[in-house]
Amino acid sequence: MEAKHDVLIVGAGCAGMRAAIEAHDAGADVAIISKIHPVRSHSGAAEGGINAALGNASDDDPEKHAYDTVKGSDYLGDQDAIQVLCDEAPGDVYELENWGAVFSRTEDGRIAQRPFGAAGEPRTAYAADITGHVLIQVLYEQLVKRDILVYEEYFAWRLVVDDDRCQGVISWDLVNGGLHAIGAKTVILATGGAGRLYAGTTNAYACTGDGMTMALQAGVALKDMEMMQFHPTTLSPSGVLITEGCRGEGAYLLNADGERFLKRYAPNAMELASRDVISRAEQTEIDEGRGVDGSVLLDLRHLGAERILERLHGTRELSMTFALVDPIHDPIPVRPGSHYHMGGVDTDVWGLTSLEGLYAAGEVACVSVHGANRLGGNALMETITYGKRSGRHAAEWALSNTTVTVPPSAVSDAERDLRTLLDRTDGERPWRIRDELATTMHENFGVFRRESQMQQQGEIVAGLRERYERVLVEDKGNVFNTDLTQALELGFLLDLADCMVVCGLARKESRGAHARPYDYPDRDDENFLRHTLVTWNGEGPVLDWRPVTMTKWQPQVRSY
Amino acid sequence: MEARDDDEMATAGAQLLMAAGNGSSGPTMDVALKIWRFDSETGERELKQYEVEAPEWSCLLDVLDIVKDRVDGTLSYRKSCRMMICGSCGMRMDGAAVLACKERMKPIVDAGHVPVISAMGNLPILKDLVVDMGPFWDKFKAMKPWLQPGFDEPADGKEYRVSQERMNVIHKEALCINCGCCVSECNSMESDPEFLGPQALAKGMRFVGDARDGATVERLEEYNSEHGIWDCTRCYFCNERCPKGVDPRDAIAKLGAESIKHGIDRDMGAKHAKWFVKSAETTGWLRETELVPKTQGIVSSIKEMKFAMGLARKGKVPPPFPPHVADRVEESRKLRELTKTQGRDGALGIVQGERGLARIEHTDRGGARRDVPETDPTEPPVLRDLS
Amino acid sequence: MTTVAYYKGCLASLSAKELDTSTQALAPKVGLDLIELESVTCCGAGDIHEAEPDYYLHLNARILAYAEATGSDTLMTVCNVCTLNLRQANFQLQNDEALLARINDNLATVGVPRYSGGVEVKHLLWLIAEGEGYERLKEAAHKGLKGLRVAPFYGCQILRPSKLLGFEDPDRPWSLEAIIEACGGEPVDYPAKIKCCGFPIIQAREETALGELIQPLEQAVEAGADAMVTPCPLCHLSLDAWQSKLKKATGRDFKMPILHLSQLIGVAAGLTDSELKFKRHVVSVGPVLEKLAT
Repeated sequence: MEAKHDVLIVGAGCAGMRAAIEAHDAGADVAIISKIHPVRSHSGAAEGGINAALGNASDDDPEKHAYDTVKGSDYLGDQDAIQVLCDEAPGDVYELENWGAVFSRTEDGRIAQRPFGAAGEPRTAYAADITGHVLIQVLYEQLVKRDILVYEEYFAWRLVVDDDRCQGVISWDLVNGGLHAIGAKTVILATGGAGRLYAGTTNAYACTGDGMTMALQAGVALKDMEMMQFHPTTLSPSGVLITEGCRGEGAYLLNADGERFLKRYAPNAMELASRDVISRAEQTEIDEGRGVDGSVLLDLRHLGAERILERLHGTRELSMTFALVDPIHDPIPVRPGSHYHMGGVDTDVWGLTSLEGLYAAGEVACVSVHGANRLGGNALMETITYGKRSGRHAAEWALSNTTVTVPPSAVSDAERDLRTLLDRTDGERPWRIRDELATTMHENFGVFRRESQMQQQGEIVAGLRERYERVLVEDKGNVFNTDLTQALELGFLLDLADCMVVCGLARKESRGAHARPYDYPDRDDENFLRHTLVTWNGEGPVLDWRPVTMTKWQPQVRSY
Repeated sequence: MEARDDDEMATAGAQLLMAAGNGSSGPTMDVALKIWRFDSETGERELKQYEVEAPEWSCLLDVLDIVKDRVDGTLSYRKSCRMMICGSCGMRMDGAAVLACKERMKPIVDAGHVPVISAMGNLPILKDLVVDMGPFWDKFKAMKPWLQPGFDEPADGKEYRVSQERMNVIHKEALCINCGCCVSECNSMESDPEFLGPQALAKGMRFVGDARDGATVERLEEYNSEHGIWDCTRCYFCNERCPKGVDPRDAIAKLGAESIKHGIDRDMGAKHAKWFVKSAETTGWLRETELVPKTQGIVSSIKEMKFAMGLARKGKVPPPFPPHVADRVEESRKLRELTKTQGRDGALGIVQGERGLARIEHTDRGGARRDVPETDPTEPPVLRDLS
Repeated sequence: MTTVAYYKGCLASLSAKELDTSTQALAPKVGLDLIELESVTCCGAGDIHEAEPDYYLHLNARILAYAEATGSDTLMTVCNVCTLNLRQANFQLQNDEALLARINDNLATVGVPRYSGGVEVKHLLWLIAEGEGYERLKEAAHKGLKGLRVAPFYGCQILRPSKLLGFEDPDRPWSLEAIIEACGGEPVDYPAKIKCCGFPIIQAREETALGELIQPLEQAVEAGADAMVTPCPLCHLSLDAWQSKLKKATGRDFKMPILHLSQLIGVAAGLTDSELKFKRHVVSVGPVLEKLAT
């Protein structure tokens, strides 16, 4: 084993970097492992904004924010975790601004806030439509200021567990080749989501659920895995994200008849209803033949060129480059695509998992702040608030606890497994398995789910995992072997798909993003006001349940 | 929601897949590319041609994925977001740096062109299309790229109050995704590898122009160093190549303007620029003959005497007296006086034009770029030992 | 005949007088009636744009205003830098009413006519590379270049940023080659023809500039060019006058004659010595003239 740190963070997106900054400021020796350079992290692709009850656009307070979040979660969110987020959000956003984040401004020079989906007040602080990019930049600047060590382009593969404690991470050095064991008193997983499970996704290639599977294999439970959010406005056909901010600025969603169809699904909130509601509405319109080439239309024309150029410049660029459509003149073709994973590594309100020394924060975690459906703007807020909290908690714990042991077997086991993979000269190239996984997940575990298809998907995944045992890596070299790392990423995805299907079948109701209109069309609070929990028994997922933490709000009928 | 039968669902699913763009359906085209492969472990370089079938909507990155998946898994390149925001996939197509995820292939295929793909320039190549970004990040860090707040911290513990208009001064610099396309093509950096370069300097301007940053003077002093602002050759390759519209050359010009405004003008480049201003406000035309001593100083000018005599013999050194004065030059002088009073000094003089320039429609130059000779991009273009 | 306002810029007025004399002599032969702008100043180059950008905008607005006052809708330039500067200022003024209003108020205050945005700025190169100008060019170049091998050097600011210039693809320009052919010469291709000659920093950062300058010269020599042609007098100055510095720094004597665009055409069109003024060049154009005399 080589290096040892107090706090080792896997992933350098908003959550990872925020955690690192906090842990550093708390006096810990911090390092980050990231398989891509920090600024390449997918947090940077977030567009619309970050939610906090600043009260700059209207009378707002954390209580309202919390209520909107609870309702938005279809009452599956843990209310204590939600309260923490909403209470701390304003201070955390001011801190980002004080560090230099380039927010858009109100008339009187304050942080501007726009209306967003399912929010009672306009509380989404934004930077044009590149909020994620702006936050990634400011966090990286603060990282550089503190000269925090980054193991750049190191692919984290396994957690080291010894003596019932997480002791570090085993990773592959992508630039030079070779496995490294990096010991740490605490490890914070901040690896983001797993959108790449689906064919149509807003997610980057890098979003392959790495941390979730690493935690799962280390004996930690994953929570609410069936809850994958389908964002209603992903560009056709590429899947890239078209921000909810468009709708926040007043854009309309139209079907083939030019009708604002949401009046039939969410007559009050219309285009600013909750994401799951809108995705279902769109899917229904498309399925019933009122779509245009498998999409619906997002119309920005009435906003005017000036406003589009000033506030939605990025959106226009994406639309013109990938769909050859200029939103100033034509509506943008959009449709639902996998976007955000509400589920993930089970943690408490400090980001701590059931494994001593292991934390998780951001999209990889499930506290749960988002329950069965996430509000736009809450994900970025979660990365900051919970990144900070886990960073602080991990630092404090590490500074008052002793040594690290990485048993040699952890490294040699990993090396042996890697050798097996690399030495194989005959087998199936990963892309086939990967593409089949993605298309079948899209077909059988998408916006609308039914028993028979989910069962079928379980079998398909089992078949794919068998084929994965014979996956072939062509590149046998040491330098920048992305053929290898992409094969390892596929392995992560397969384990997660398994878990998702098991949980999806077990939840016999429709709640939030989990929609079963054919067999269980209604929400069932009596039986299912609880989280799914999966652990891995060496062969496959084992299911359990945990009740939702409720403090103030009882489940109501949820309509927009 | 009403229950619907299986057939409709399957149709909807298939519809979704067709438009999902997973490459398995929809119209396709045959794409040919040449890629410069480089193996750092063996030092071998080779130009290889690949031909694949790809969906019509493919960008360069999608084609590379198909090559790597189905033809040659040893091909290495960086990628992540595929939506022009992460900055990973910078590489050269026909000798010009682009984001692979942004370049549509159909116009190139339709033009019958086989593009040559190679790694970005001005940075060492690790493998194939992957460059060592170390020197790039070193220069970034050399800018001290974090906010150094001034004295006026917000009293109520909330946000700094800054108007949108004031924040817009750095609107373009804030767009930078650190992709390296500008650095790849920087002519100055090719000649002087230590030049801080367009990316770093644009980042510097991001702070110099930020009202909340209190370290403007220190920054400008730093950026006025030998390999800083005045090392820029104004080739505009950076503006041309930047996929996000940052316009780094303009950021560098803003830094120059701010430097001179703050009286940081000891560099020859600054003196050179100031002499143009002096010329315009006195005689209207550039006072060429005095340009050398005004820029380089008397001592240096004396060293240049032989060279200057060579030019003088050809009439290229017009006598400074009588001065060549423009007609109605007092208009120019008065305009200079007016600009001193109207609050568009320093970088604001450039920022004010950005609104109008943003309205120019970008013409689509889709299609093949120039035919570059198949030279090895890892070899320097010329032997340059000027010591 | 097309009437255009003619802005010659600083160099053509002084150290590169040969550019002005050859342009003025050539113009009628290619169907251009030049109205020389008298009450104008330096366009500021990249220097005033960098040092006092608001002043740069005013200087160029004034040039545009006087051009418009001639009644012509075209302002012709003979320098890359002037072209970019004027076009950039023009776009800023044409697309921002508030900015135009402020500048016009200032122009009016000092006695300059207001500018309405009605002028387009075009380099001589663009006027004769295609269309009617090209036809006239072919007629005018009756003496021909007898297959002279000419390496075109575009330089930077006639091509980039293409958003502001836009006459041709900045990576695949063709205009100089077309003109060389029309004059009976043989264009020579080489990669550095669109790269930077280094002129903007040739004083402040000589070594860096020479590292750039050597590339087109070396490549043109290697490609067998008899001469180089450029549409920019600043590039001309560095390519021509600084060859001696390159010799001093590298020991290599390129002896490459550098011609202004108007001179290249002028030779093919039979302009006189006093119009072409080759004697003003530092590197002798003699070898070219000898080749053409045979």
